Amino acid sequence: MVIKAENIVKKYKELNALDHFNMEVKEGEILGLLGPNGCGKTTAINCILSLLKFDEGDIQIFGQKMTPTSYNIKKQIGLVPQEVAVFENLTVEENIDYFCGLYIEDKNIRREYVKEVIDFVGLTEYKKFYPKKLSGGLKRRLNIACGISHKPKLIFLDEPTVAVDAQSRNFILEGIKRLNKEGSTIIYTTHYLEEAEMLCDRIIIMDRGKSLVTGTVEELKSITSTREKIIAGFENPEEDISDKIKSIPHVLDVGKAHGEYIINFENGTNNLSNLLDFIKDNDLTYTKLYSQLPSLNDVFLELTGKELRE
Amino acid sequence: MKNILRNSIYLGKNMFRDMSFTFWGLMYPIILAGFFYIAFSGIINMEIKTINVGIGRENQAYPILENVEILNVMEIHENDAEKSLKSGKIDGYIKNDLTLVVDGSGLNQTVIKGILDQIIQIIALNEPMQNLDFEVNYLSAKTQEANPMLVIFYSLIAMVSTYGVFPGIETAVTSQANLTDIGARINTTPIKKSTLLISGVIDGLLINIFSNILLLLFLRFVLKMDLFTNIWYSGIFILLGNLFGVSLGIFVGSSNKKSPGVKVMFSIATTLFLSFLSGMMSPNIKVSIDKNVPILGKINPISIITNSLYKINLLGNTRNLSQGMILLAVYSLVLMAVSYLFLGRSQYDSI
Repeated sequence: MVIKAENIVKKYKELNALDHFNMEVKEGEILGLLGPNGCGKTTAINCILSLLKFDEGDIQIFGQKMTPTSYNIKKQIGLVPQEVAVFENLTVEENIDYFCGLYIEDKNIRREYVKEVIDFVGLTEYKKFYPKKLSGGLKRRLNIACGISHKPKLIFLDEPTVAVDAQSRNFILEGIKRLNKEGSTIIYTTHYLEEAEMLCDRIIIMDRGKSLVTGTVEELKSITSTREKIIAGFENPEEDISDKIKSIPHVLDVGKAHGEYIINFENGTNNLSNLLDFIKDNDLTYTKLYSQLPSLNDVFLELTGKELRE
Repeated sequence: MKNILRNSIYLGKNMFRDMSFTFWGLMYPIILAGFFYIAFSGIINMEIKTINVGIGRENQAYPILENVEILNVMEIHENDAEKSLKSGKIDGYIKNDLTLVVDGSGLNQTVIKGILDQIIQIIALNEPMQNLDFEVNYLSAKTQEANPMLVIFYSLIAMVSTYGVFPGIETAVTSQANLTDIGARINTTPIKKSTLLISGVIDGLLINIFSNILLLLFLRFVLKMDLFTNIWYSGIFILLGNLFGVSLGIFVGSSNKKSPGVKVMFSIATTLFLSFLSGMMSPNIKVSIDKNVPILGKINPISIITNSLYKINLLGNTRNLSQGMILLAVYSLVLMAVSYLFLGRSQYDSI
C-alpha cells in the first residue's frame, strides 16, 4: 500500500472539513478523488502531505508515518497544486531546475531530467519565457513540470485541468496516463466526471469531508439502482404522460426536464424496445430518443441526493 | 552547503528580477537622495565665509567654537547681545543655555544653528565635551563638514541599509505554507526550513548591499558628496543595518498572516518613521529627540546607524561605537530567533 489514511478528522471550528475520511492507494494505480468543490479533496491531500494539522486519524505513506520532517518520504513525492505555484521571475527552465534540484542533487542527472520534462509537457519552445508571458494552459503545464520533474514514485495532482483550454486539457490527461505507465502512482482530484471516468483505475467519491464510496468506475455504477436511462422527447401530446410511462416494465422513475422525459430503468432487458412499443401503442411521435448507461453523476445523486455539479 | 548555495542563487535571481525590488531597492533611494540634494543644494554648495558669533566666556560651548575655523568667536556679555546683533557686529549670539539668538535669517545664521545643533547633540549623546578629540579639526578640515544638513544623507543611508527588510519578507512568505501557494509547494519538498532561511538571509544581505553600494556611488560620483572619512567603521554599521533589515523582514513576514503587500507597506512605513525620528526629514527633529527623549535615539536602530555614521565621519569620533553595534546585533539575533520559531512551525491549522 502506498498510502493508508484512516479516519482522518479535520475541523475548522464548527466545520468538519474531513469527517473520518479514509483512503487507501495501491502501488501503480491512478486513484481519483471525485467530489464537488469544497468537499474536502484538497484538505485531504494537505493532511496527507503533512501540511495541515488534523484532529484525529493516522496517515502512512510507503508504510511509514508521515510527518513534516519525513524528508525521505517527501523525496519520493511530487505535488502539482491546484493553484499555479511557480516563481514569477524565474524562466520556465529555471523554475523546473529549481524544483527538480530540491530532490535531485546531481547536476548532470538534473539537467537530463529537466530537459525530459520540458519535452514531456511540450514547453521546449517556451523554456526561456517567464511565467507571466505564458497562457493559462501553458502555465498549468509548467506547474505540472515543476511537480514531476524529479520522477517521483507518488504524484498528487490537485485539479490540474481547472480553467484550461481543451487542447491543453487533453495534453495534460494524456501526460498523466503516460506518467502512470512509466510507473508512478497517481492521486488525482477532480470535480469533472468525464476525467475521473477516463483516467482513474479507482475512484473515491467524496462529499462534505467524507469518503462515501470507493471502487472502480464499474463497481461504483453498479451501486446505483438505475441500470439504464432513456431520454425521450415527443411532438405530442402536450399533456404530461409521466404516469403512463411508468407502466412500462422495469421503469424506476420518470423525470421531465426541458420538455424531455428522463426515464430510469432498473435491471432488465429490452427497455428501449418496450419504450418503442409504448410509443407506437399510444400513437406518439418522438423527436429525440437515446439511451444512456448510468453515470458517476447518477451514483453521486443516489448517494447524496444532489447533482455533482450543483 | 550546496543546497544553500543553489537556493540562494535561484531565490536571489527571483528577488533581484522583481520589479518592486527594482523600484524600492534601487530607484527609490536614489530618487530620494536626488530630491534631498536638490532641496538642500543651496545650503550644501554655498561657500562659507567667516561668521561672527557672540558668546559668553562662561558658556560650555565656548572652547569648542573657538576651534571652529569658519567662526570668529567674539566674547560678548548676554546684556550686549541684542545691540551687537542689531548693529550687525555678530551674526548670532549663543546664550548659556545653548539657545541661539539672531536678528535675521540667512546662511550665516543657518550655519551657526547647525554647529550649535551638533554641540547640543554631542551633549545629548552623553559625550563629555572634554573627551572630544579636539585635535581632529572636525568642522573645518573639509568644507562639507561644516554642513549639518549632511545628517539627512546619513539618515537616508541608514534607512536604505535596513531595506533588506524586503528580501527578508520575501524569504519568510516563500517559506510558509499558509502564506503563499509557492510556500505550500516548497513545504512538500525535502528542503529544510533552516536551508531556506539561511539562503534568504544571504540573498537579502547581498542584494541590499548591492543596492547600498549603488546609492553610495550615486552620492559620491553623481552628487559629488564626500560623506565618508572612515569607510571601515561606516561599513560595519551599514552591514549591521542590512542584517537588522533582513531580520526585521523575516520577522514581519513570518509573524502574521497578512498579505505580502500589507507586510511590505508596513515595513516601508516603519523604516520611514524611524528615519524621520533619526532626522531624515530635518536634522532639527533628531536634535529635538536627542534632547528631549534621548532614549529614543539610543534604541531606534536607524538613529543608531545615523548617529554612528555622523560621529564617525563628521565628528571623526570612533569611540563608544560598540554599544550601537551590539544593540543592532542583538536586535537582529532576537528577531531572527523569534522568526525561526514562527517558521519552524511545521504544520498549519489552515492553508
